[in-house]
Amino acid sequence: MSGHSNWPEWVYIGVVIALLAYVGAEAWNVERIVEHAPAEAEVIKVTGQQWFWTFEREDGTKEVGELHVKKGMPYKFEVTAKDVNHAFNIHDYVVLQDAVVGRINTVWFVPDKAGEYIIQCREYCGLLHYNMRATLYVEE
Amino acid sequence: MVRAFALLSVLTVLVVLPTLQIVFASESTEPGQYVQRKVEIWNLFFKMMTIAFTVGAVVSGTLIWLVWRFRESNPNAKPTKYEEKGEW
Repeated sequence: MSGHSNWPEWVYIGVVIALLAYVGAEAWNVERIVEHAPAEAEVIKVTGQQWFWTFEREDGTKEVGELHVKKGMPYKFEVTAKDVNHAFNIHDYVVLQDAVVGRINTVWFVPDKAGEYIIQCREYCGLLHYNMRATLYVEE
Repeated sequence: MVRAFALLSVLTVLVVLPTLQIVFASESTEPGQYVQRKVEIWNLFFKMMTIAFTVGAVVSGTLIWLVWRFRESNPNAKPTKYEEKGEW
């Protein structure tokens, strides 16, 4: 169509590209920041199995059904499973990672408030899935 | 087509580069300062929701206006040249 102005279309395309670029860059950047664990983070091996959680520290000490951590310290969880797939979740700290048999998935966090928090399995793993909980104790 | 592609490329570069710069400018790398993942993730969620609802409002608002403005019963409605000639 000769003489037809199409500048609104170009403005529209520009706005869409701007939004997509912003959304993509922002999400990618946040994901990068959130996934980059500090080198000094203490590693805790987390193992899920029907229907409880086991936590093993670097010195070999183990805790079952509860985990004690220090406020303000970074922790890196290496999450795996023994029998079926589970998902390791600390709701209050937005920690969520799949526990998959034969894989080690990592997630890190820094507890910033002392108290007791619930750790819960978030992948249906059988009859007692609903009760596959542990307690996170954040100490001063 | 070539002109459109060139214009699109220029627009992309003009838009993408400043966006990346804005996003990465806010990054802080001070030692001992840890990122709180719940803060980062919730902030991202709220930003994305703001964008999603704004875009949703603009798009649905445009559609509603379009349907209202170009309805047959609108006093300002004019038949297209095809309709005038009875060619459609």
